[in-house]
Amino acid sequence: MKTEHEIVLETKDLNFYYGKKLAVKNITMQFPKNMVIALIGPSGCGKTTLLRCFNRMHDLYKGTKYEGEVLFNNENILSKETDATQLREQIGMVFQKPTPFPMSISENIAYGLSLKGIKNKTEQKDRIEKALKEAALWDEVHDRLDKNANGLSGGQQQRLVIARALAVEPSVILFDEPTSALDPISTSKIEELISELKSTVSIIIVTHNMQQAARISDKTAFLYLGELIEYNITDKIFTTPDNELTERYVTGRFG
Amino acid sequence: MKNKKRNQKNTSNAVFKFLTFFASSLTIVIIISMIISLFYQSIPAIQKFGFVDFIFTREWSFNKDIYGAFRPLAGTILTSIGALLLAIPIALGIAIFITEICPAFLRNIISSAIELLAAIPSIIYGMWGLFTLAPLIEGTVQKAVSSTIGLLPVIGPMFQSEYAGGVSIFTASIVLSIMVVPFIAAIARDTFTQTPDILKESAYGLGATKWEVVRYIVLPYSKTGVQSGIIIAAGRALGETMAIAYVIGNRHGPLNSIFDPYTTITSVLANEFNEAVGTQLSTLFLLAFILFIANFITLAIAKIYSRRGLSNEL
Ligand SMILES: Nc1ncnc2c1ncn2[C@@H]1O[C@H](COP(=O)(O)OP(=O)(O)OP(=O)(O)O)[C@@H](O)[C@H]1O
Ligand SMILES: [Mg+2]
Repeated sequence: MKTEHEIVLETKDLNFYYGKKLAVKNITMQFPKNMVIALIGPSGCGKTTLLRCFNRMHDLYKGTKYEGEVLFNNENILSKETDATQLREQIGMVFQKPTPFPMSISENIAYGLSLKGIKNKTEQKDRIEKALKEAALWDEVHDRLDKNANGLSGGQQQRLVIARALAVEPSVILFDEPTSALDPISTSKIEELISELKSTVSIIIVTHNMQQAARISDKTAFLYLGELIEYNITDKIFTTPDNELTERYVTGRFG
Repeated sequence: MKNKKRNQKNTSNAVFKFLTFFASSLTIVIIISMIISLFYQSIPAIQKFGFVDFIFTREWSFNKDIYGAFRPLAGTILTSIGALLLAIPIALGIAIFITEICPAFLRNIISSAIELLAAIPSIIYGMWGLFTLAPLIEGTVQKAVSSTIGLLPVIGPMFQSEYAGGVSIFTASIVLSIMVVPFIAAIARDTFTQTPDILKESAYGLGATKWEVVRYIVLPYSKTGVQSGIIIAAGRALGETMAIAYVIGNRHGPLNSIFDPYTTITSVLANEFNEAVGTQLSTLFLLAFILFIANFITLAIAKIYSRRGLSNEL
């Protein structure tokens, strides 16, 4: 029916705790390569929490605990030996609010490159241009690369952040409601961008917007109270879901 | 009935307005009257020496009745710069440690210790500086430096001193730096913690280490705050009196070495004001006037900085 897809990321019996609170419960799922996977579910169901397990962002805060496995290229990234710094070079993240650094447009991208050890100025320049083009921002900013990034509009800032993530050439990018703070036009630009990007990176996106999930994702996972309720081809989730909870959620008859 | 109530409200409002206005104008009146009286008392000295000449005169002689501001002014500036050079890296280090590295239970202990450091009366710093720190420095740092760097040609003499006791520009700078560290550290800590988590997470998300996040995100983000903290500390260092008066040595002679005793504006004022008469008294007022202006300027710079910081962020 469907060609076998290579798996880039996979969770096995994943539990996650904030202190004593279990926020992600026993999740086992596979993320195929070069696809857009949407995570949907009501507020507080654990979408962000799950997403942040994949780049071990929770490590920054005290009292958090993972159980189970997250396999990235068949290696358990939750094991002690994994260097979270190196992991995050390969698994990028884009947040709900645009987060340009307090520096110029080109420096924002150069920053990530320097972290990766790419310090040569001409190489940086080429990579900056390439990343901005990939993020569909080049035409708008090429004549003001040395201006402060805070001067860009919200939508432009978000595309800059995407360019910054792309520049270090990750194999996965995690998006946490990347368009919820943006106007419709900026939103559709970013949706278009995400659809184009999947030829080079695998994408996991959290969204509250059903239409968005339906438009851009190949597969959709529905989470409820920290559990994975249903995970399938997006069309199937939105037309003939197996689970009644899923159906009620995607048709807006929830709660 | 209703009108009466409204009238009462209006009156209390007017009284409140008047009181707050009165209190704030009072501060301005006090400052202006201070400037005027300092200046008025300085007139004989200005007439005798001339303002510009006064600043560049090195002499300080009761016998000849000639007084120049050069040495006290140089001493004030040198000790303040020395203090800031030592205090800035230490204070930033403390602030980084508190906000990014140290475990929660230690954080409060260190923060309280730093606040306490700021609350110690300056005369206690002076006493401790004179009786404990000065001999300690003389026996350790000064000894080590003068027997190594001090032997080098050309710059060597700057690290040798013929004066004993350990009171010097160097010791004064160290005492001052300990006194201003809390100011810089407290402001730096506050501005560091204001760096949005999401900005730090974005940097971590690109594969930055803790140090890279501090160096390239937290520090630039807090730049204006830290700068105004430094300038406030500079104002404090320029005006510090009792601690300096104890450890500077109060010597009106040529300064050849960082280990030489010297003088500052505040230490001259503290030592000579009680007995001064005539030209000398007027001279002291002129020194005080100059210090006042210097403090005013540093504060103004701090204000401009923080305002510019604000408009940058918008
Ligand atoms: N730092 C934290 N400490 C403790 N509990 C937390 C923390 N962050 C989230 N939680 C809890 O974990 C659960 C999952 O939260 P999460 O933020 O992952 O939900 P979400 O699905 O992303 O919600 P939303 O759609 O509102 O963003 C919630 O019950 C939330 O209250
Ligand atoms: Mg969320």
